[in-house]
Amino acid sequence: MISQNKVFDTKVLRKTVLDMAFAGSTVHIGCAFSIIELLAVLYRNHLRYPDNDPQALDRDYFILSKGHGVMAQYACLRELGWLKDEAFTGYFADGSDLKGLSDSRILGLEVTSGSLGHGFSVGVGMAMGVKLRGTNQKTYALVGDGEINEGPIWEGALFAAHHELKNFMVIVDENGFQAMGSTQDVLKLGSIQAKFESFGFEAITIDGHNEEAIDTAIKQLWASASVSPKALIAKTVKGKGVPFMENNNIWHYTRLDSETYAQALSSVSESEQ
Amino acid sequence: MRAAFSDTLVRLAKADPNVLLLTGDHGYALFDDFRRECPAQYINAGIAEQNMVGMAAGLARAGFRPFVYGLAAFIPVRVVEQIKLDVAHDQLPVIFIGDGAGFVYSHLGTSHQSTEDIACTRAIPNLAIYSPADRFEVTACMEMAYHTKSPVYLRMGKSDRGDVHIALPELKAGSMLEAKSGKFNDIAFIATGSLVRTAIDIAAATYPDATVWSAPFIKPLDSQQVTAICKQSKVLVVLEEHSVLGGLGSAITEIASEFAPIRILRIGINDRFSHYCGTYEYLLKEHGLDRTAIELKIQDFLAAN
Repeated sequence: MISQNKVFDTKVLRKTVLDMAFAGSTVHIGCAFSIIELLAVLYRNHLRYPDNDPQALDRDYFILSKGHGVMAQYACLRELGWLKDEAFTGYFADGSDLKGLSDSRILGLEVTSGSLGHGFSVGVGMAMGVKLRGTNQKTYALVGDGEINEGPIWEGALFAAHHELKNFMVIVDENGFQAMGSTQDVLKLGSIQAKFESFGFEAITIDGHNEEAIDTAIKQLWASASVSPKALIAKTVKGKGVPFMENNNIWHYTRLDSETYAQALSSVSESEQ
Repeated sequence: MRAAFSDTLVRLAKADPNVLLLTGDHGYALFDDFRRECPAQYINAGIAEQNMVGMAAGLARAGFRPFVYGLAAFIPVRVVEQIKLDVAHDQLPVIFIGDGAGFVYSHLGTSHQSTEDIACTRAIPNLAIYSPADRFEVTACMEMAYHTKSPVYLRMGKSDRGDVHIALPELKAGSMLEAKSGKFNDIAFIATGSLVRTAIDIAAATYPDATVWSAPFIKPLDSQQVTAICKQSKVLVVLEEHSVLGGLGSAITEIASEFAPIRILRIGINDRFSHYCGTYEYLLKEHGLDRTAIELKIQDFLAAN
């Protein structure tokens, strides 16, 4: 049973990201927007935090391995009441807590990321711990498609399959871009589903902005009788929700000014759910 | 020394089922007892050190007490970033065992020789560095690492140099142990790991009044104790089977320069790789770390005073 009972309206989450990105004059907006629906579905329907406690010993583990999307996670933690509004209006103020990349000292963030290819292995370790304990906690590690250039991802994939970590799920945000260009141009990935399948994962590819499809796929993977670890490949759009940011990789590094902020807010509020 | 390591690990694991041993496909004979006594607590993570350290962080977060074992050339050197970010940042109770530090793998060449591991890890906050000299220090260091519940890098070097203590010493974090008693004197010795035995032998033969201190801790290091030793000596000789850059000699010199400047001879590996291979003793000679070469260095240093 999910205790949070919150809406996680994706329009609200995107608005929160825009507000904080503008307040902090920060980057990585596109990275956050591609995972909004994934996070909304996970927090709304799947992640169990008994008593709404981010430190509950029997919680599910959600690891944002691609720390560059952390603003999307901050927006969800705000919905949960774990982060206060002041943290958003004062984003990047001197002496403030919330950093531009995830930091595990923030309640609700399980790992410190930003250096890529770390969180996946930490998640595999957590899932191994869950298996040794014999509990039924789920561990999710959300990685970027650029991030899976990193070798430790594939070291961890071998381990997860060998040890039949059936309660471990990697979610790949396949938005097709990394910092300096398209994944196709930088380092071709081929079929991510086929890669994880060849490592022994049970994998499904879905539209990562279709909340119903995300929810169904997660349920389907967990319902499997297989002892394999799971892989959910989410085809997403970097910058999703704001037309001038979509598939425009300059929004990995571009900062909002008053004009683009207003335009983006208006796009988000007018968009279809 | 290796038997003491294995015995202590088995004892800790039997007493606490949360203790896990992770190895990167190393330690074949060393872990026979552990695998027999605690098979469910043994994880061979494969030849995949980066993932192994990340997993150790995840296991620690899930309430386990991982010991991560590898050769010092790989644990910690290959995984410095995982140690920093995944483990030390949040002070997770993971213990790293770097075996075969220094020139132990004398025939295998640069890939397996670890002469920069202390320098690579000393500046990582929250990470303690232990460097035991004999079987007694190994046992005491393992116990202390387990009980501190924060990250520790335990450096194990050449293991058959002989005892430097006659019984299990009582450790105090950061403190050096008297390995050979002496008087307040012109010259004092501080050594760590494999070179403590050498320092004792040299002092006993040539500088009978000198005290020899064994440093089982590179970090933390008791600066008051170091200062007191410096104030009571005219010159200090620091010995380690590690680069002269960034190791124990550097750490002692940093403290001395601030609180009690004296002349300090740092004996260690000069800033270069091994040219050749051979026995361990051969390689010590190649790098001027055999007893004869060290004695000459000390004589020259004293003569230049």
